[in-house]
Amino acid sequence: MDNAEEELQKRRLSPLFRRLLKIKVWLVDRFRLSERQITLIWAALVGFLGACASESFRKASSLLHYAATGSDSGIILSFEHLPWWQRLAVPAVGGLLAGLTLWLGSRLFSSVRQKTTTDYMEAIVVGSGNISVRASIVKSLSALFSISTGTSIGREGPLVQLSSLVASLVARMRNFPIPQRRHLVACGAAAGIASAYNAPIAASFFVAEIILGTVVVESLGPIILASVVAAFTSQLLHGAEPLYKSPGFNLHTQWEMIPLSCVGIVLGFVAPAYLRLLRSAERLFSKIDIAVPLKLALGGAIVGLLAIFNPAVCGNGQGLLRSLFHQGWFWDEILAILLLKLIATATAFGSGVVGGVFTPTLFIGAAIGMLYGQAILYIAPGLRSDPAMYGLVGMGAFIAATTGAPLMGILMAFELTLDYALAPFLMVNCVVAYYCSSIFERRFMYGESLERKGAAFFNQQLAEVNIQDLVRVNPITLPKNATFARIAETFVQHRFQHIYITDKENRLLGAVSLHDVKTFLDRPELETVVIAADIMNEDFPRVSPRQGMGEALHKFSEANSERLPVVDDLSSQRLIGSISKTDIILHLAGDQKR
Amino acid sequence: MLVISRKSVEHLRAAIFIRDLKAKSDYEAIRKMLDSLGGYPQVKDLESLATAVFERQETDPPLFPGGIAFPHARTDSVSALVMVFATCKEAIPFGNTRVRLIFLIGVPKHAGAEYLEIISFLAKHVRGERTLDRLMEATDLSSFLAAFAEPNG
Repeated sequence: MDNAEEELQKRRLSPLFRRLLKIKVWLVDRFRLSERQITLIWAALVGFLGACASESFRKASSLLHYAATGSDSGIILSFEHLPWWQRLAVPAVGGLLAGLTLWLGSRLFSSVRQKTTTDYMEAIVVGSGNISVRASIVKSLSALFSISTGTSIGREGPLVQLSSLVASLVARMRNFPIPQRRHLVACGAAAGIASAYNAPIAASFFVAEIILGTVVVESLGPIILASVVAAFTSQLLHGAEPLYKSPGFNLHTQWEMIPLSCVGIVLGFVAPAYLRLLRSAERLFSKIDIAVPLKLALGGAIVGLLAIFNPAVCGNGQGLLRSLFHQGWFWDEILAILLLKLIATATAFGSGVVGGVFTPTLFIGAAIGMLYGQAILYIAPGLRSDPAMYGLVGMGAFIAATTGAPLMGILMAFELTLDYALAPFLMVNCVVAYYCSSIFERRFMYGESLERKGAAFFNQQLAEVNIQDLVRVNPITLPKNATFARIAETFVQHRFQHIYITDKENRLLGAVSLHDVKTFLDRPELETVVIAADIMNEDFPRVSPRQGMGEALHKFSEANSERLPVVDDLSSQRLIGSISKTDIILHLAGDQKR
Repeated sequence: MLVISRKSVEHLRAAIFIRDLKAKSDYEAIRKMLDSLGGYPQVKDLESLATAVFERQETDPPLFPGGIAFPHARTDSVSALVMVFATCKEAIPFGNTRVRLIFLIGVPKHAGAEYLEIISFLAKHVRGERTLDRLMEATDLSSFLAAFAEPNG
């Protein structure tokens, strides 16, 4: 054997490798994993990690609550056993510590802004998908102090924040481009909500309807998967019971359908007033010129003062909701706790406590619904109405009317109760409540946090996002003299459908398509005779960062490829990366909200 | 036995066969084979084809064990796949390799699959010692192509 032959033998693939290659090509052909499918895998991981982050926060919150009250019961029970001065002191000190955490955090890290508790929404809709680790930790710690010490604020805020942070970190570690990063943060947010409420469907639609503002299958699929994985993980730890199990309802007479279908009208008109109350409280506290720790301590002290008279005002309202649906409250008791809860929630929200108002809003909707049910029972006793049924429907209708997301409202209330008999009434009332609320209110609960950023910010972001932002650097390349064996090896090692061929100056010469060569990959005789230059498509479409998104989409339609090479400019043809169709679709889906 | 398409069979039947090509270098051998394509209706520009083939040779000469060369190029200077086969009683030096059998192929850019099919067919068959001997003994295109039809050995 001469030298040339020895060299040729060396360049050949082993029979085992060729067999593997054939299997891979077969698998790729049948189960071709596109960018979308890969995103699903990451979404599932984010769902699991998000649930773990939420669980850690829950555990920490329970520990701190025990340290603050000496009781491991629920917030309301713990406060009932405290002497009056401790009912006042615990939320006040908690507020002070929460405020000090924020104050110190903002001193140490510029990324910590006191007011914004919905960074994840900005990161998904207008940002780069990056969530500050320091800011998230500071805010979550602050929320931990407030929530554990009985402030009337929901813990879904920090749960979603932490879950989104985990997703953002995963996306950053994998060096995902901006659209995919934002999408993964959306998955994280959904996972946080799903684990907080054991409501994967509603969590998916919360993110789709409120944050993304679109229900595009492309973006919804991974969000659903992340939510389901997060909910399953939480169910493993806490059981699969719905959060607010329905006592079970039957209509005693079909006439009851009429008042039951009108709950949404009442709540639809109350919702704008509730949103204005929250905004007024925020304005009022902003006028009080004291340091942040004192402001939060003041907010805590007001909740503490209310707790002296009625400890049920403490906490997010979760325990209160369970009690409301199952323990037959009188109308005056409901009215009293409703008023106290409104003041406590508005105070907590206005003072700038980090957290969410989702659960308190559910309670307020349920309480108003129950009052309405009591009134119906009083006016038409023959209907033998169960006020709890009105409460459950009211809960969904009020959340739909305040968030501007009727679909999410329907699904959330349904998943929280898992009572199918309620479903038609939820559907009617959530939609009616949303339409009634829309007459007076265009700024819904979560949209506001995004609006704060201002139109200029949105426009600036829109102008800044271009092909360059979507480029993934370091694409798979080979020189034009790469042998067929090397091309085959590269296709085995990477899941891409095209390998870009470049010269020494990294100029793009063309692309070899797996589709073109797949039937020949198991032919050893080609391994040394054919090189990349023989089989590359020199006219493979390419884009440059200077081109617009429309041009990029046009090129995709020409290429029939999931990704396209990006060259610095069309004359020099220097390869700088690649851009994927999925990233563009996700980017455009994200932009619809704008 | 590798099955090829009817179209590829037609290309093989339309090939030019040169018996006992004599040349002192790879360049001379390829040039002579290219010249045989002069006036061939599928060749739109012979010089462009020659340039493309020599460029390809410079990039990485396609050689096969047993002294077989596959000079080729994908170029739009041909409108359809064209082939010239040559046997050499006296081996011609292609770099360090002594070549006895040459397959020159010109392929239009759009015919990548045809090119891979043909080259795979040829390369697979010339691996057999007996086929190689029969190809070397061929006196015309028919006997040359007939060698491919017989079992490898």
